[in-house]
Amino acid sequence: MASVTDLTHHDVDHDHGHGHEHPIPSGWRRYLYSTNHKDIGTLYLVFAIIAGLIGALLSIMIRAELMSPGVQVFPWISEMMTGDGSADAAKNMYNVFFSSHAIIMIFFMVMPAMMGGFGNWMVPLMIGAPDMAFPRLNNMSFWLLVASFLLLMCSLFAEGSPGMRGFGGGWVLYPPMSAQVGTPGPAADFVILSMHLAGASSILGSINFIATIFNMRAPGMTMFRMPLFPWSVMFTAFLLLLSLPVLAGALTMLLTDRNFHTTFFDPAGGGDPILFQHLFWFFAHPEVYILIIPGFGMISQVVATFSKKPIFGYVGMVYAMMAICFLGFAVWAHHMFTTGLSLNTQRYFVFATMVIAVPTGVKVFSWLATMWGGSISLKAPMIWAIGFVFVFTVGGVTGVVLANAAIDRYLHDTYYVVAHFHYVMSLGAVFSIFAGFYYWFPKITGYMYDERLAKWHFWVSFVGINLAFFPQHFLGFQGMPRRVVDYTEAYAFWNMVSSIGAFIGGAGAIIFLYVLYEAFKAKRPAPANPWGPGATTLEWQVPSPAPFHTWETPPHIVDEDHHAPAVAGHGSLA
Amino acid sequence: MTASGDRDGRAVSVGGRTARNNRLIGAGAAAFAVGMIGLTYAAAPFYSAFCRATGYEGTPQRVETNRDAEGGRVLRVGFDANIAPGLDWRLEPEVESVRLRTGKTTTVYFRVRNLSDKPTEGHATFNVTPEVSGQYFNKISCFCFTTQHLGPHESAEWPVVFFLDPALEKDPSMARVDSITLSYTMFAPPEEKPVVGRSTNRAGPAG
Repeated sequence: MASVTDLTHHDVDHDHGHGHEHPIPSGWRRYLYSTNHKDIGTLYLVFAIIAGLIGALLSIMIRAELMSPGVQVFPWISEMMTGDGSADAAKNMYNVFFSSHAIIMIFFMVMPAMMGGFGNWMVPLMIGAPDMAFPRLNNMSFWLLVASFLLLMCSLFAEGSPGMRGFGGGWVLYPPMSAQVGTPGPAADFVILSMHLAGASSILGSINFIATIFNMRAPGMTMFRMPLFPWSVMFTAFLLLLSLPVLAGALTMLLTDRNFHTTFFDPAGGGDPILFQHLFWFFAHPEVYILIIPGFGMISQVVATFSKKPIFGYVGMVYAMMAICFLGFAVWAHHMFTTGLSLNTQRYFVFATMVIAVPTGVKVFSWLATMWGGSISLKAPMIWAIGFVFVFTVGGVTGVVLANAAIDRYLHDTYYVVAHFHYVMSLGAVFSIFAGFYYWFPKITGYMYDERLAKWHFWVSFVGINLAFFPQHFLGFQGMPRRVVDYTEAYAFWNMVSSIGAFIGGAGAIIFLYVLYEAFKAKRPAPANPWGPGATTLEWQVPSPAPFHTWETPPHIVDEDHHAPAVAGHGSLA
Repeated sequence: MTASGDRDGRAVSVGGRTARNNRLIGAGAAAFAVGMIGLTYAAAPFYSAFCRATGYEGTPQRVETNRDAEGGRVLRVGFDANIAPGLDWRLEPEVESVRLRTGKTTTVYFRVRNLSDKPTEGHATFNVTPEVSGQYFNKISCFCFTTQHLGPHESAEWPVVFFLDPALEKDPSMARVDSITLSYTMFAPPEEKPVVGRSTNRAGPAG
């Protein structure tokens, strides 16, 4: 610990030498004008929690509706939101809810939490950089996202389909539903513009991460000495940079189709709606890796820390992530098996999709091998991480099933698909976020959370969400289509089970809020490194909470072992 | 690396080579993103050319003449015609379907009538299902190749001359396809499109 104190003292000296005696701006100015990577990271995390709660609330409403056959809940919701409680308005409102749920969870919860929150907070700390490469751009990225979220909220109350409120065409925004024919009202334009801003925000953020990671590493922090989390953020930034402009382009075409009489996706002028699906999935398949790869990075940090072992197969883990990124761009049409692809095209996409199971398997087995023989301490972050490995593997296995074009004919757009992607996203990505959250909570806030409550949070969420999504596999096999407000009597039992699970999962979210409240109320000070000898990365060498400025004097990394970087002259905590 | 605060001491800015390299990487990445948007737009004409060249998405092929010998398989070819909202025409095939030997050229007529009191133009989009048969469906002449013009209450008979490429016999994707449907939808020119939302009748499936 002595070395840590020395180090920070040195930093403070340095600050004074370079005119950093200015007080930290206080109040709203500190955040609105912030160019500090930690403050912006905190803003992103708070934003993600708020958006996540809204998105979760929408999903609870959806499950409440699906608890039993018939349309019971949404006439009431529609009556409350629009004053129209008719059956048609209720059905439209249901469509609006699942569309908004998806968009909020993807663009305003998982992405801001992983990249904006943990990426901003931890990447500069972990590579020994004083801040991000472009601090003002960083501020812009965040506030663009807020504007984007407000636009999405506007769309809920704007006219969509004739006489209806909101956009109900799903997060995929397929024309003709999202074109003038399906949604003549401005609700779809609001969603498109919201996606534009969210995309711009993420592109700017990814440029920032790429420049930071390539160019701001501390002396001696070679690429292959970087911890896996900065690696995962770098790969994700490249995915974003390649895929989001495609979405931006496709949405711009959609916008001009809607408002300026172009016909990119309109057969009347020689366009083809299928082209939108190709462009969309060329973006959206990498997007699902964008949602999970930073999670891979966090899980690697957590598993190594709490097994008190360096990560097994570090280089293999890096190349596995790289392989997943490359393959992620070559499999998009497996979302489109039913659009009339030739057999050979289907064969290629089946094969390419299944190949992704190989690097993914490398990652899962490396986590298991890291735990194997390790001195495991089952603190809350580790429990979330082990839970992640389990649910992600379940989701991965159903992904291999769906990769088969022949089976996909049967399961396409059924609840089996819903179960699959919620296992990798709602459980996988979210579990990795919570693992990272509890792991870095002491570093970010300077307080320790309550271990017992955090474990309650895990177990209630784990039971609830599994109960919610596992039965959906059965519903899918029975043929229940997704995106429907009502269903036949035959699906009633497992829908009831699924809804009960969703409510238990909702209780988990309430426990999470209580964990936060309790931690800030009890104010148990966190040491610089609360996790012991397993936590070897650089962020544990600065005090908790991390001071406003860190690594203004870059640390010198001398250790040959990538996972235990030692700072020259100060020694390593490990 | 030198660290120095800006005027209000909030930002940590870096100077010298690091800042220059940051700008280089940032500009490179931004150019890359702009290039991807450009490629996205390039995808639209590329996709259209790709469909025409490969018959992808059930796009029939356009050829000058039939140089193929007659093949051995006989398939049913059905016809479907639709009018999109905004065009007051009627379009229907003279026969519902024909049975056709691969490689044999045939001609089918579509009856069309302008129901309105003013001269109007229409343009047909077309494709065939199952989509995999697009690459074997060869049209020599078709009213859909050009914009059509009809005077008030004028009617006409439009020919479509086509044949099925005998190469389909060797394609395992086509082995279980016995019936192909050729579908047309006639659209009014864009400026005559009605305000959508008010129209009650909707276009039939375009393919």
